[in-house]
Formats: sequence, structure tokens, C-alpha cells
Amino acid sequence: MRTTMKRGFIAPGVSALLAAVSISSAAMAQDKPELRIAAIIAVTGPASALGAPERNAVELFDKTWSSRTDLPFKIKVISYDDGSDPTKSVSLTRKAIEEDKAHVVVCCTTTPGSMAIIDTVSAAKVTMISMASSLSIVEPASARPFTFKTPTSDKLMLQRTLDYMKRQGIKKIGFFGLEDAYGEGGLKELQNVAKDTGVELVATERFARQDTNFTPQALRLKQAGLDAAYIHAIPPSADLAHEALKRVGYTGPIYHGGGSSINAFVDIGKANVEGAIVGVGALNVYDQIKKDNPLRRVLAKFAELYDGAYGKGKVDLFAGQSWDAMMLAVDAYQRATASGAKVDDLAATRVAIKDAMEHTKEWPGVNGIFNITPTDHLGLDKRSTFLSQIKGGKFVLIEE
Amino acid sequence: MLDTLLFLVADGITNGAVYGLLALSLIVIYTVTRVVNIAQGEYVTLGALSFASALSGTFSVLSALVAAGLAAFALRDVAEQRLTGTMRMRIVLSRALWILIVLATAWLANLLPGSYWLAVLASLVATASLGTLIYRLTVEPVSDASPIVLLIVSVGVYMVLHGTAVVIWGAEPRSVPPAVDGGVGLGPVFVTYQSLWICASSLVAMIALYLFSERTLTGQALQATAVNRTGAQLCGIPVSIAGQLSFAIGAGFSALSGLLLAPLITANYDMGLPIGLKGFVAAALGGIVEYPTALVGVLLVGLTESFSAYQVSAYRDVVVYLMVIPILLWRNAVRPPETHGH
Repeated sequence: MRTTMKRGFIAPGVSALLAAVSISSAAMAQDKPELRIAAIIAVTGPASALGAPERNAVELFDKTWSSRTDLPFKIKVISYDDGSDPTKSVSLTRKAIEEDKAHVVVCCTTTPGSMAIIDTVSAAKVTMISMASSLSIVEPASARPFTFKTPTSDKLMLQRTLDYMKRQGIKKIGFFGLEDAYGEGGLKELQNVAKDTGVELVATERFARQDTNFTPQALRLKQAGLDAAYIHAIPPSADLAHEALKRVGYTGPIYHGGGSSINAFVDIGKANVEGAIVGVGALNVYDQIKKDNPLRRVLAKFAELYDGAYGKGKVDLFAGQSWDAMMLAVDAYQRATASGAKVDDLAATRVAIKDAMEHTKEWPGVNGIFNITPTDHLGLDKRSTFLSQIKGGKFVLIEE
Repeated sequence: MLDTLLFLVADGITNGAVYGLLALSLIVIYTVTRVVNIAQGEYVTLGALSFASALSGTFSVLSALVAAGLAAFALRDVAEQRLTGTMRMRIVLSRALWILIVLATAWLANLLPGSYWLAVLASLVATASLGTLIYRLTVEPVSDASPIVLLIVSVGVYMVLHGTAVVIWGAEPRSVPPAVDGGVGLGPVFVTYQSLWICASSLVAMIALYLFSERTLTGQALQATAVNRTGAQLCGIPVSIAGQLSFAIGAGFSALSGLLLAPLITANYDMGLPIGLKGFVAAALGGIVEYPTALVGVLLVGLTESFSAYQVSAYRDVVVYLMVIPILLWRNAVRPPETHGH
């Protein structure tokens, strides 16, 4: 009887104490400024193959960073799905800026989506970090002061690839690519880079994502007398184009652009794509690059974290793109507050974040080492690109 | 030069065979139900994807969905008031058997992963049954509406099926192993066994359809409905059953073309629409009513596509779809619409 009385007395006492503690910690937490990042990703719709791993990485970021209490600030991640629809990207961006009071908008998965929201973020003076490939999103930086992006550009990848081709004694190449925005963008860059490096582009053939027959174009390329074929597409069509070239008896080397640097490329192509030379990001070959490369530690950590959450060997390029976007935002915010940005003034903080972004120096991310300046809003150099060859179903780094 | 020609012809014919199955599906459905089925390509997708998942030994969600849909309609039919006890019994038994077949094929394919024929069977049964469900759900309630309403309904069906494929299987393409690996060198041209298999299967399927419609009573009833709906109804042919049957044949044929094509181009949620549209171009040559002319049409489409891709790869689809205009002009000249009543 006595003991129950005692317990009955103690229990409310303890809970009152707990409540007091939780209130004070809540109050303390409220004292900390909050960094709000809105991630608008194409989880559904045609770009969902890219959007799904991007969303995974954002969730991973949310799990590992939002719960941290050792930071001088809190992080809040707001996730939206734009369904691969640029119109929806714009309305969600507006919502994130006005209702959610986001400091940074990580958007979008696709180039059309990213292009569509530029006016909205510029007007609101909010930093956006895109995960899409086209360089036109951030260029020219003077006209798009609030726009940044994380994926390496086709231009860098092509410079790397064509330099390598030239050293291999390749003089005449043929382009075999998608006829959509991605393929046409690649072709345009290829024409420029080919001119600069002195490699001659002698044939241009196109196909569509949903084509059922790639042989006619492959025949044409074979008959053009190429030293090498360059395929600019994404799986599965990149695999099918590769197979078609082999089927018509083309025996020269076959190069692939960055679109093929995902696991699906070898999963679908299997033995057929053995020997393909693929331009890849650091993530594909993170365990093969030199030990002293500053990227190696960052990559290994991210790969371990991602594979731990989603299964071994699941980590891919697109996951790295949203991850870097989130991490860049945190880094910029940290530096902005350290240099005395007023955190209770939303507009001032937003601009301070953009200024800090423009002074990112030697920052190692998953996509490469970022050196963002007021004139270069991508900030990657050729250290972000690698060449690999498919051997035994793996991307094997080509030592240069 | 001869090599090139042979290559182009071989691939043109392979693709033509695939479009051929599509064209026949479109014609069967249009003649019996007057639906110009925009959603036809989606059965290609569903056939290929459910085949891929059956082959890899995962239970196809599509089979479960179809079984549930069949059960729902069985309940509705049994609840019909004017039925006698024995008729009810017959409905219950026949529908139970049907549902059982759908689930059993899916389950067997799941039990023995990698078995080609079981996977083919599971995929065909599920997709063909889905065809009847789509008919009952979307066409039957408005079966007296004008063709334009039916066309718009089929656009809606396309959107729903397209979305369903993404929800069930995701956006990742799946590679599908061919029936027989490798190929044979016909002179300078290397033709995969799968291409030969596609041509042979299409031919067999077409002959089977011909025999079915000429030699069986059910087939004759379908033909009668196609020629004159009211007349067929007056003769005691149940128009609803004819419609369901035509949708089942159409969906089944398209699914067959999908699972035949999948080893060549992988199975993915996005593959159906362009294939369906090209089948449509071929069917247009026969006014979506004549089978033999449509078969000429598919060869024409397959070869045109192949040769235009060789000559001007950037415009090959433009060339193929542009064919519709001369085809329509030609049809109008040979057979003005008012002379054949449908």
C-alpha cells in the first residue's frame, strides 16, 4: 500500500519534470535558427527513373541531418513531387518560397523544369540548385544570379572523352544519339568540342527513346568509315544502340556519354556492352580512384550511407546530384551565418546564402570538387569526370 | 549495298510483324465495337511487363487486379434480378473457373520462374481478361454512343493504363531474355532467332484468328456483329459477349506482340504508344476494317520505317506518320466512306 502510494506520487513528479525538460529543450531549439530547404523532385512521371534515387538521397539527408543537435542551427527539409511537369515545378517553387519560407530550393530533376523556375527564384531572390544536366540552366551567371547546379556538364565530359580519343589516334567519329533535348544538347556540345580538339565529326544519326529498330542508323554509321562511335543516350536505348552497332558488324571502339553511367546500363546490356568506354562521374569508380584524391573519402562515405539505407550497390549518379545540392545548401548557410548574416531576416539570409554559394572553394562533393564563383555557377572542372570501360559487368576506371 | 538492303528488309519485316498483330487487334475491336482504340499500345506494355515479371518469378500484380475485377463483375451479374437459380449457378461456376485460371497461371509461372511458356500463358491470360474488363467498364455503359465518344473514352483508358503500368512496375526498364539465344547468319545478314520467332508467332496467330473467324460459330457470330450490329442482335447474338470477346482478342494479340518484342527492346512502361500508333497507320490502309489490306499496310510501315531511318534518321517517325495522309486520300478515292456502312 505504501509503495503504491509512493509510486503514485513519484510518477506525476517525474512526468512533470520531463515535461519541464522537454519544454526547455523545445525553447532552446527554438532559439536555434532554422534552415529550410525545399526539395522539388520528379518522383513520378517520365523523369521518375532519375527522380526516385534523388528523392532517396533527400530522405537520407533528412534522416541524418534533421535530427542532429550538435549544429548551431536546425534543418527542415520540405519535399515535393512535381511529376516531371515544369508547370507544377513553378507552382511548387512559389509555394515553397511564399508559404514554407524556404531559404534554398533544390529543383529540378529535368532541364525544362529547371529552366521554368528561374524567373520565379530570381524575382524572389532565392537560391536554386538544379539537378539537371544542361549547362544553359546556369549560363550566363550574370543573368541568372540565383541559379546553381550540381551535375557535371556534357561539355566537361566530352572534353575528357575527346582528349582521350585523340591520344588513341582517333580522327573520325560518328554521333549516335537521342533526338530529344538531352541528345540534341549533347550533339551541340560535341560539335564545339570536336572543333576545339581537332576530331572530325563525320556522321550524325538519331533515334528516339521508344524506338524498336536501331539497325538502319547503325548501318549508316558503319558505312561512314568511323574510327570510333559516340553514343549519347540513356538506357535502355543506349544499350540497344550499342547492340545494333555490333550486330551490323561495326568493330571499332564505342564510346558513351554520361547518360550511360548508371547501373541500368550494364544490367540491361549485360555481355553485349562489354568493352564499351563510358564517361562517368567519380561515384561510379569511387573505390578505384587514387587514395589521395580528396573526392575518395566523401564518395566512400556517401556510398556507404546510401547503400546501407537502400541496399548494396544501389548508389548511383542521380542520388549524388540531389545529395550534393542539399550539402552545398548547408555549407553555404553555415558560411553565411558565420560571416554574420542576420538569421531572423529571411530576405537578407536568402541573399547571404547566394553570396556564400558564390564563394565555395575546393569543396569536395559527390560530383567533383566545386569552385563556385560569381561568374561560374557550376564550379566543376575536369577533375569531376573520368573514363571507364565495362569489364565483367563493372565500370573499370581507365588510368590516364 | 546488297547487305544493307537485306538488313533493312529483315528488320522492316520483323517490325512489320509486330505492327501486324497491333493492326489486327485494332481491326477486331473497331469492327465489333466501333471503338478506335488509342489505348491499344498499352496492352503491348502490360503484356511485356507482366511477361517480364512472370519470367523473373515475381507474382504479377496485374493478375491479382484482373482477378479482383472479374470477381466484382461476377458479383454484379449474379445480383441481376431476372435470373433463375440455375442461371445464377452457371454464372458463379464459369466466373469462378475464369478467375481460377487467371490466378493459377500467374501462380504457376511464379512457382517455376524462368519457364517461358508458363510466363507467356500467364501474361496472355491476364491481359486478355483485362481487355474484357475494360470493355465492360468503359465501353458497355456507352455502347450506343457515337464513335467520337468511344474514341475519347479510349484516350481516358490509355491514361489510366499508362499510369497503372508505372505504379505497378516503376519506370525502370526490364531486360527480358529471348526465347532462344543467339541468331543465324543469312548470308551477310545476322538475324536473331528472336526476330524469326516474332515473324513465325505472328503468322501463326494470324492464321489462328482467320480459322477462328471462318470455321467456328463464335467466330461467325463476331463477324456478323461486325457487319451489322442490330441484325446480329435480332439473330440472338449477345452483343455484349461479342464486344468482350473482341476486346479479349485485341488485348491478347497486342500483349503477344509486346512479349515477343520485349527481348529486343526491353520491357518498359513507355513502350506501347508509338507501337500502337504505327499499327494504327497500317490498319488505316485497310480503313480499320479490312484484314488483308492491313497486312499489306504493316509491311509497308515496317519497311518505310526501316528505310527512312537509314536515309534520314532524324525524320523517320515523321515519314511513317505522314503516310497516313496519302493513305486516307487513297482510301477516299477507292472507297468513299458512304459506300461502306459501319
